[in-house]
Amino acid sequence: MKIKSARNSLASDHNRTAYLFLTPWLIGFFCLTLGPMMASLYFSLTKYNLLNSPSWIGLGNYVKILSDDETFRNSLFLTFKYVLFSVPLKLIFALIVAMILNKGLRGLGIYRTVYYLPSLLGGSIAIAIVWRQIFAGDGVVNDFLGWFGIKGPSWISHPDYVIYTIIMLTIWQFGSAMVIFLAGLKQVPTELYEASSIDGAGKGRQFFNITLPLLTPVIFFNLVMGIINSFQAFTPAFVIGDGRGGPLDATMFYTLYLYLKGFSFFDMGYASALAWIMLLIIGFLTAIVFTTQKYWVFYSDDQGGK
Amino acid sequence: MKKWSLLVSIIVTICLVTACSSNGGNTNTPAASPANNNTATNSGDNSSDTPEEIELRIMWWGDQERADKTNQVIELFEAKYPHIDVVGEFAPSSGYFDKLNTQLASGTAPDIFFLGGNVIDYALKEVLLPLDGYVGNALDLSDMDAAMIQYGTVNGQLLHISAGANARGIVINKTMFEKAGMPVPQDGWSWDDYAAIATEISEKLGDGVFGSYDFTYDGLDIYFKQHGQQLYNMDEQKVGFDEAMALQWFSYWADLAAKGGVVTPELAVSNPNEDIAKNLMVTSQVAMTLLPSNQLTSLQSLTTDELTMVQLPRGPKGTGVVFESSQGLSGYAKTEHPEEVAQFISFFINDSEAASILGNNRGVPVTAANRDVLQAQASDVEKIIYDYTSRVSEATKTEPFNISYNLPGNAEFEKMTKTAIQEIGFGRKSVEEAVASFYKDAQEIIANNVTQ
Repeated sequence: MKIKSARNSLASDHNRTAYLFLTPWLIGFFCLTLGPMMASLYFSLTKYNLLNSPSWIGLGNYVKILSDDETFRNSLFLTFKYVLFSVPLKLIFALIVAMILNKGLRGLGIYRTVYYLPSLLGGSIAIAIVWRQIFAGDGVVNDFLGWFGIKGPSWISHPDYVIYTIIMLTIWQFGSAMVIFLAGLKQVPTELYEASSIDGAGKGRQFFNITLPLLTPVIFFNLVMGIINSFQAFTPAFVIGDGRGGPLDATMFYTLYLYLKGFSFFDMGYASALAWIMLLIIGFLTAIVFTTQKYWVFYSDDQGGK
Repeated sequence: MKKWSLLVSIIVTICLVTACSSNGGNTNTPAASPANNNTATNSGDNSSDTPEEIELRIMWWGDQERADKTNQVIELFEAKYPHIDVVGEFAPSSGYFDKLNTQLASGTAPDIFFLGGNVIDYALKEVLLPLDGYVGNALDLSDMDAAMIQYGTVNGQLLHISAGANARGIVINKTMFEKAGMPVPQDGWSWDDYAAIATEISEKLGDGVFGSYDFTYDGLDIYFKQHGQQLYNMDEQKVGFDEAMALQWFSYWADLAAKGGVVTPELAVSNPNEDIAKNLMVTSQVAMTLLPSNQLTSLQSLTTDELTMVQLPRGPKGTGVVFESSQGLSGYAKTEHPEEVAQFISFFINDSEAASILGNNRGVPVTAANRDVLQAQASDVEKIIYDYTSRVSEATKTEPFNISYNLPGNAEFEKMTKTAIQEIGFGRKSVEEAVASFYKDAQEIIANNVTQ
C-alpha cells in the first residue's frame, strides 16, 4: 500500500475534488430525482388514489394500459404526431433563419436576441393564452383570412385543427436551436466555400455538400433535445385546449393524460405506470437516434487529417 | 484509493437520501407549522380565559368578486374571534380541485375547503372532518334546512355543510323572444315544446343564433329523475339508470342539433355554457339554456337583454328539479383545530352580516333567517331568482324528488360524458355507439372509485 506512486495519489485527490464539486448535483439527483422515481415505480405497481395508502396490484396498471385503454392509444398517437411534425419543422425553420442571420448582417446581436425571445417566452402560460386569442373563431388569423373572403373555423375549438395551432406555437420557439445552428455555421471553415466555388459549385451544392455535413453534429444534438422536449410538452396542450384534453381528446397529450389521471381522476398508480411507459418510449427513441448517428453524423476530427 | 473515495461518496449520498426521505415522511403529518409557531410565542399562561392564538387556512374557488366578498367575511370573523387568524386562498374553478388534491396528498391541505358536487369523492376517501360532535355547540345548525343537513351526511357522518342552495332552471333571453315575435315560454311545458321552440327561434333569428345550448351533461340527472331513475344509486354503489334511458336523452339532443336548434359543438367548445363570461346568451346568440339559479345574477350583469327563469320542461314524474346544494364547506380530517373549523363554518352560514356581504354568490342562504335578510334587500334580478326558487319549492311539495349525489369519480365522469357528447356532435360516432361506451365507462368509473 505504501508503494503508491505520486501520480496515483494525485489522481485520487483530483477525484475527491471532482466528487466534491459534484455533490450539489448528486444531492439534487438522489433527493429530487431518484427518490421520486423509485416512489413512482412502486406506485405504478399499486392502486393508489392519491389520498389513501396504495395497495399492491402487481402489473395490473400496465396490463390495463396496454390492453384496454383507448385514451392511452389516442394520446400516444397524438403525441407522436406532434413530435413528428414539430421537431423537423422547428429544426428546418431554425436552420433557415440561422443561415439568413449568418450572412453577416449588421446588428446581428439584436436579431439574434429578437428571434431567441420566443423560446424564452413560448413555453409560458401567457403566450399560450395569447395564442388562444390569435387562433380563436374571432381572432386575428380569421380577421386576416376575412380580407380574402375566407371564413376560417375556430382553430382552437375544432378537434381537427387544434393540434396544428399547438405545433405552430412550438415551431415559433425555434430560437435556442437557431442559436446553436448559428454557432455551428460560424465553425464551418470559409476556405471550403472558396475552394468549392473555384471548382464551380453553386450555392445549392455548397449547402448540401459542405454546410449540411459539417452541421450534422449540431443537427444531431438539436434533434435529440427536440424529441425529448416534445414528448414532454404539456403547457401548450393544457392552456390552448380546455385543460381536460378537449375538444374530443384532440389536445390529450400523453403528459396531460398522465396529469389528469394522477391529480384529477384519483388514479396515481395508473399515472405512475403511464410515466414509466413514457420513459421507456423516450429512452428507446433516443437510443435509436444514437445508433443511427454513425451513418449520418459527421465529426470533423474523424478526418484524422492534421 | 479510488475505490475508497467512491465508497465515501456513496455513503455520503445515501445518508443524504435517507435524510431527505425522512423529511418527506414528516410532511405526511399536517404541516400547520405557522400555527405551531404562534402557540410557541403566545402561550404565556395557558389559562382558559385567554384562548391561544391559532391560524386557520381556508380555500375556495371562484373569481375576484367572490374572493373579495369571502375575504370581507373572514375579516368579520376575525373581529369576532380575535384569537383566530384566518388565511384565505383561492384558485379559479378549473385548477382548484387539482390543487386541493395535491395538497391533500401531501398532507398540507387547508383546514377548511369548499367542495361542490364531488363531495362524495372526498367523503369516500375519508379526508373530511366529521362534524357531528360539534353540532349544537360550536356548530349551530338549528335554523338550517333539514334536506341540506341530510345532503352533507354521508354514511351516517356529517362531513359537509352547504353554503348555498340553488335550483337549476331554464334561463330565457326575453329580449330575443320579443325580437322573434314569439311568446316567452311558461312553466309546465314539455320536451317536445322545448325542441319546437328552440328550432323555431333559431330559424327566425337567422345565422349564428341558436335556440338552446346542448345541456346533455348538465341536465342528465334531472332527466333521469323525471323518468323515475337516477344518476347514481348510492345504496347499491352503481349506476341508477339503464342504457335505454341514456340513449333517449342523448338522442333528443342529437335530433335537436340536426334540426339546427342547438349551439354547434365548435362554438360550445370556445364558449361553454358554464363559463358565464363567455356564455353566448350574453351576446344574444342563445335564447335558452340550463343554469343554476344563482348564476342568473352574474349572467344578467353582463348583458342589457332581459333575462328570466322558467321551470324545466316536464317528464312523466314532473320537473325533476329540487333545491340542491351548490357548494359547501368541509373540514380537513387532519386539522389541528377542529373546534375552530366548526366555529368558522357556523359563522359562515348563520351570521346575518356575513350573509348580506355574500349575497347569493354561492346560492341562496341555507338558513331561513338569512334568506329573509337577503329577500328584504333583493335587487330586481334576485327577485326573479327568489320567484323561481319559490316555484320550485311549491312544486316539490306535490312532486317530491330525492336529493341526488354525483357519482364517485365525478371529474373523470364529467370528462368522459363530455367526450361522448362531442363524439356525437362532431360526427365521430353514432348516438348508439357513443351511448354504449358512455354506459360502460360510467360503470367502470364507479367500480374504480368506490373500492379503495
